[in-house]
Amino acid sequence: MATAESADHGHEEHPKFLAHHFDTPAQQFDSAKLGMWVFVATEILMFGGLFVAYLLFKSQEPQMFLEAHHRLNREMGAANTVVLLFSSLTAALAVRSSQLGKRKQTSALLVVTILCALVFLVVKYFEYTHKFHDGLLPGRFFTAHLPEHAHNGHVLPQRAHMFFALYFMMTGLHGVHVILGISILTWVLIRNQRGEFSPEYFTAVEIGALYWHLVDLVWIYLFPLLYLVG
Amino acid sequence: MSDNHAHAHDDGKVHAHISSLPFMVAIFGTLIFLTFVTVKVSYFDFGSANTAIAMLIATLKASLVAVFFMHLKYEKRFYSFIFVMSFVFLGVMFFLTLDDISTRGTVDPDNMVRTLERTGAQAPGGFVQFVAPVPAAGAHGAEPAAHGAATPAPAHH
Amino acid sequence: MATEVADSHGHGDVDYNAPYLTAGKGIKSWLLTVDHKRIGVMYLISVILAFFMGGMFALLVRLELFAPGRTIMSAEYYNRAFTLHGAIMVFLFIIPSVPGALGNFVLPIMLGTKDVAFPKINLLSFYIYVIGATFSLYSIISGSVDTGWTFYTPYSTTSNTSVVSMVLGVFILGFSSILTGLNFIVTVHKLRAPGLHWNRLPLFVWGMYATSIIQVLATPVLAITLLLLAAERTMGLGIFDPALGGDPVLFQHFFWFYSHPAVYIMIVPGMAIVSELLATFSRRAIFGYFAVAMSSLGLALLGFLVWGHHMFTSGQSEFSTMLFSGLTMLVAIPSGVKVFNWTATLYKGSIALTTPMLYALAFLVLFTIGGLTGLFLGALNTDIHLHDTYFVVAHFHYVMMGGTVIAFVGGILYWWPKITGKMYDEKMAKVSWFFVVVGFNVTFLIQFIMGSKGMPRRYYDYLPQFEIYHKVSTVGSWMLLVGFLILAGVLVKSLKSGPKAPPNPWGSAGYEWQGTESPPVFQNFRETPTITRGPYDYHLCTEAELFDGFPEDAPKEG
Repeated sequence: MATAESADHGHEEHPKFLAHHFDTPAQQFDSAKLGMWVFVATEILMFGGLFVAYLLFKSQEPQMFLEAHHRLNREMGAANTVVLLFSSLTAALAVRSSQLGKRKQTSALLVVTILCALVFLVVKYFEYTHKFHDGLLPGRFFTAHLPEHAHNGHVLPQRAHMFFALYFMMTGLHGVHVILGISILTWVLIRNQRGEFSPEYFTAVEIGALYWHLVDLVWIYLFPLLYLVG
Repeated sequence: MSDNHAHAHDDGKVHAHISSLPFMVAIFGTLIFLTFVTVKVSYFDFGSANTAIAMLIATLKASLVAVFFMHLKYEKRFYSFIFVMSFVFLGVMFFLTLDDISTRGTVDPDNMVRTLERTGAQAPGGFVQFVAPVPAAGAHGAEPAAHGAATPAPAHH
Repeated sequence: MATEVADSHGHGDVDYNAPYLTAGKGIKSWLLTVDHKRIGVMYLISVILAFFMGGMFALLVRLELFAPGRTIMSAEYYNRAFTLHGAIMVFLFIIPSVPGALGNFVLPIMLGTKDVAFPKINLLSFYIYVIGATFSLYSIISGSVDTGWTFYTPYSTTSNTSVVSMVLGVFILGFSSILTGLNFIVTVHKLRAPGLHWNRLPLFVWGMYATSIIQVLATPVLAITLLLLAAERTMGLGIFDPALGGDPVLFQHFFWFYSHPAVYIMIVPGMAIVSELLATFSRRAIFGYFAVAMSSLGLALLGFLVWGHHMFTSGQSEFSTMLFSGLTMLVAIPSGVKVFNWTATLYKGSIALTTPMLYALAFLVLFTIGGLTGLFLGALNTDIHLHDTYFVVAHFHYVMMGGTVIAFVGGILYWWPKITGKMYDEKMAKVSWFFVVVGFNVTFLIQFIMGSKGMPRRYYDYLPQFEIYHKVSTVGSWMLLVGFLILAGVLVKSLKSGPKAPPNPWGSAGYEWQGTESPPVFQNFRETPTITRGPYDYHLCTEAELFDGFPEDAPKEG
């Protein structure tokens, strides 16, 4: 906002991607980023509620949480962690190649990111079906503490449904964010294919990547809390 | 890649930091290494420090993602401030809730009563629950604790 | 973040320098508008509708309480009526009222910009509000809700009324609130006109900024809480159910972690409006500008530390109770800073008793009563006696209605000429002010007495000794109705046949009055303004110059 720019329209300094109410591309870019960071704070508080609930109940029943978490599949959780971390890398690199104006490379990296997200969901699907099969369902559908669901002769503590209630809420909300992330990245990919981005204007790639990193951030905390209870 | 960032308002054009490829891959490698560490560490028992250690490693990983993948290092400090403040507010929520909820005591899994750790006495304010033996043919879809009808709380009211 | 899409130029044939009301024709140009002013007007219409609906339930509640026993409805319907009154007033009216309607309209103009940072997200926020409101209203016809607006567990998980639909509605409304807050934060940071430094921001902007911080940080916690509640109802999740190992008090912690800050989402905008009104109609700079600005931020931050004072009798631990009570007392500091500075602003001011100013003065008195009675409830020993009585009802109505609603009405009347380009009948507006303020006090002042004598809130029936209080209170509610109907008549008449408003009918030094036409043009300013003075610099010009435009603000030649 350096100049008291005249309101008349269609002059050359106002590039096509610059919205009417912004003066400069930098102002528009900074606004988008600030908005995204404020949104990140919102998301952290939203997931935060579940984390607080988790930590409070864990402090009350540490033994139950320990026993219950053995029913989760560490290998699958770890694999998903690696997948998400890798997709975070490719998302960051997509921003980089977009900054450098390499459109094809950007698209390729976005596709890899989206594929990783899909792999994550597939692994999650197998985890969920396995849990459902074992009677590890949320809330009143939980039957895993019944003897017929004993695991190697080990019966779950009765209140283990609390752990799985939190497990399903946390991973479920995260899963919704993964799906949203896929939609956002696909939208970015389509726009990139249309050639809308350039080293001067790559806001959507940057914002989409920030969202995807956020999804990764949440999982970074979910993984040890749910799969690696000590 | 040159560090051509941080003069956003000079000419009104977008100047963002462009990260170097090997550096990003190195960060990714570190993240994978830390994932490996946190899995390995979970097999050792550090007592009550277990969760704290896991959280510490997770925070380290999250910081790497935020600082380098999300470019906080190269951005205006205000974004870092927002990011950190969101955790501060989360901390407020956690600790001010904890100072109430922690007085409910912990659940003694053998007797399914809540006890206060320091004294071993039954906790006030919490809800004591007696768990009857689970019937062999539990109806599908039964509420988990429906069989263990809550006994009246101890006489603290 | 969809705003940067390339077709932001695609207003097509819109004339940027035509008055915003006529800059695009047809219903479609309104429904698909990204103009912050039109979105503000749509919000204004929506929240006024919500206000009348919530008010209708309030009248029903008061009518039922006119006499002991059954008067007009059964106890079941009474429970629904007060629940719907609370839920509609809080979630559909007060929270979106000032930010959504007046904030959207005024804030970008005050900042000297053409629009909010993300105009499409702004429109999205309005439609999310509409969807959320639809869900909430659907719950009324599908069995209604009888839990009270707080949805406390365990009752809300067992009540056989339509809780899930209402909870989902409120969940959705929350995102509307978040997006508005996000938009305002970015707009204030990034879109200020040249020369508009932070210490030249109008106090309305400071108030909106503080409000936005709360909206962005607290509302997501409400969202997750309501999600858990919905899961608890549909799946028996157990998080809030003691029989399953959960903790119902945890629901209260989560709920009030949002809902106490939400009280500041409601009152801080009211304070923000009053700061503008007092400055304009006293022709003085707000005394202690910096302190008033910082006290808004102070309220926003302190709001996050005191939620436990809603839970003194919930079985919360003694330590928490003491801690929250102590922290609650801190809220008196920023509130006091504001009230004293406003009063000092009036001192030796050139006060014009226009209707908006009368509302502002009423705010000062009523908010002070509401604030001071809050101390009784924040103090542990008196709260044990007063909690869940009509004292609480009276207290928060003095803050929410005597504070926010009064300020909101004052704000609507103040900015009405700017929004509509029409003047209203000042005399009849004053009559409505009289009925609203007197009716309000008749309704609620007596509830303090009734509450301190032990009349519990939310009760369907009561002992004979409370009958006289309830009768007076109900009569007061009718006076309120008369007042608001007159006000509605004044505004409708103004729309139909009001005289054309000059650009600055009040002679305010505010940027939104000095720099724009009434109503403003589509892009607000024909020339992007450069700010060279503070928003309350009444000492810089004569009274006549206030109306003609600041000498400094005149466009420079060349």
